[in-house]
Amino acid sequence: MSGTFEVITATDALNLLMRIGIILLKIAVVLGITLLHVAYATYWERKVIGHMQVRLGPIEVGWHGFLQPIADGVKLFFKEDIIPANADKPLFYLAPVIFMVSALTSLSVLPFFDGFVIADINIGLLFLFAMSSLGAYGIILSGWASNSKYSFLGGLRSASQVISYEIAMGLSLVGVMMMAGSLNLSDIVRAQHQYPAGMFAIPQFLGFFVFIVAAFAETNRLPFDLPEAESELVAGYFTEYSGFRFALFFLGEYTAMLIMSSIAALCFLGGWTIPKFITDAMPLLLNVPGIVWFLIKVYAFMFFYYWVRATLPRYRYDQLMAIGWKILIPLALFNIALTGLIKIWV
Amino acid sequence: MTGREFIKAIFFVEILKGLALTLKSMFTPAVTRRYPKVKRPVKPGFRGLHALAKDEDGRMKCVGCGLCGAYCPSKCIYIYTSDGEDHTKVVDRYEIDVLRCIYCGFCVEACPFGAITLSEHYEYSDYSREPFYMTKEKLLSNWDKYFAGEKGENYFKKFWRPLSEDFRTPEGQAMFKGIKNEK
Repeated sequence: MSGTFEVITATDALNLLMRIGIILLKIAVVLGITLLHVAYATYWERKVIGHMQVRLGPIEVGWHGFLQPIADGVKLFFKEDIIPANADKPLFYLAPVIFMVSALTSLSVLPFFDGFVIADINIGLLFLFAMSSLGAYGIILSGWASNSKYSFLGGLRSASQVISYEIAMGLSLVGVMMMAGSLNLSDIVRAQHQYPAGMFAIPQFLGFFVFIVAAFAETNRLPFDLPEAESELVAGYFTEYSGFRFALFFLGEYTAMLIMSSIAALCFLGGWTIPKFITDAMPLLLNVPGIVWFLIKVYAFMFFYYWVRATLPRYRYDQLMAIGWKILIPLALFNIALTGLIKIWV
Repeated sequence: MTGREFIKAIFFVEILKGLALTLKSMFTPAVTRRYPKVKRPVKPGFRGLHALAKDEDGRMKCVGCGLCGAYCPSKCIYIYTSDGEDHTKVVDRYEIDVLRCIYCGFCVEACPFGAITLSEHYEYSDYSREPFYMTKEKLLSNWDKYFAGEKGENYFKKFWRPLSEDFRTPEGQAMFKGIKNEK
């Protein structure tokens, strides 16, 4: 009796270890690939914006400046770590970690292709909202702990901006939730595949528009980069940070961009699938792995980020708030009502 | 707000125009000049590092009259002369504090012998102040470096038209030619 009992527990433990090992492996893969992506997102951004401004962008380090992110990383790693004398030290240390962790944790619920997701939880979308709001803590704590007026103003601006646009973003995705009938991101993608148009961006164009604008504001990117407005606040909430802590903020910001692009790809552009009428017309495309379609969508959205940054100037702060509260939120509410009515009648 | 303006506002026509412009400029070739590798050709009359001219025999043209130093607006030319054998004037030291020079070129225009020149050389940054204090020897070697051969000679004569070579008024310069319709 006892012998079989032991055997069963041993295989159970083995299974458990296997599962933990697989999850750890997945985490390592996702983290490694994401961080590499983030590093090269900076290179890509500088290249794109450079060419849009009829410059060359990074070109000296390696072939066409291809090793520039690595050189930047090495530089940031060996830079002197300066902490202001009057800073609130524990919070000063903690803030970039909170920011980075909240950005990286969001990766766990993103399905990169069919079946590849670290945590397939049924509240994936809510989890993403929670994590992106948690990032605001890192920002506001860094602004407070730095004990500098620029940081503090940047932190305050970021807090109010993120909170305002969080609402608009959440409401813009409600339409998607209603159409998919689920908060699980994989289910949302599958629901889109069942949908005739293949992606929710077409019926949910209002929601998609609100989401795009809110995503720009949520990640503090131009034209809504008031928390780090260089001409007014030096660098905003991370003015007093240097060396690797600065790098953590930088990485966190680009990871947040990557996650926003992924949400856009998953919730509005069909994730790893392409519309059925395309695969019906060209069955050969079925052989292309899903990750390719996913990455193409994410990259397109990232490119849009850079494109807008190269085009638009910064909004005034009251304009930013007016857009958020007076246009985006009513628009998102209208979209929800419209989606609901259509769902009832059709 | 007219209907046209309303449609423009709703569909972000202006923003779309801007996006189209940036996308178009992305595919135009960059105008960047990669400086240390690709150098910009120096325009005629560029005023660079100083040099003291030598004549055909390799002697210094400067006679130590001190006009350059007198004209110099930033007073950065120091000339020390002494009586040589049979009362000829000997230039002992001719020094230019290059860091104080404003490269106006007045010294070149003032010199009646075409002895001080400004070369086309402009890449002489350094880590200390001493290399920027030009002594007579350094200035003379600058002549050998930057005015050797035909190019330097042409540059100097054509652009600066030293008074020692050419006393005519440049063409096109406004000048008094007598009263018009003079009886």
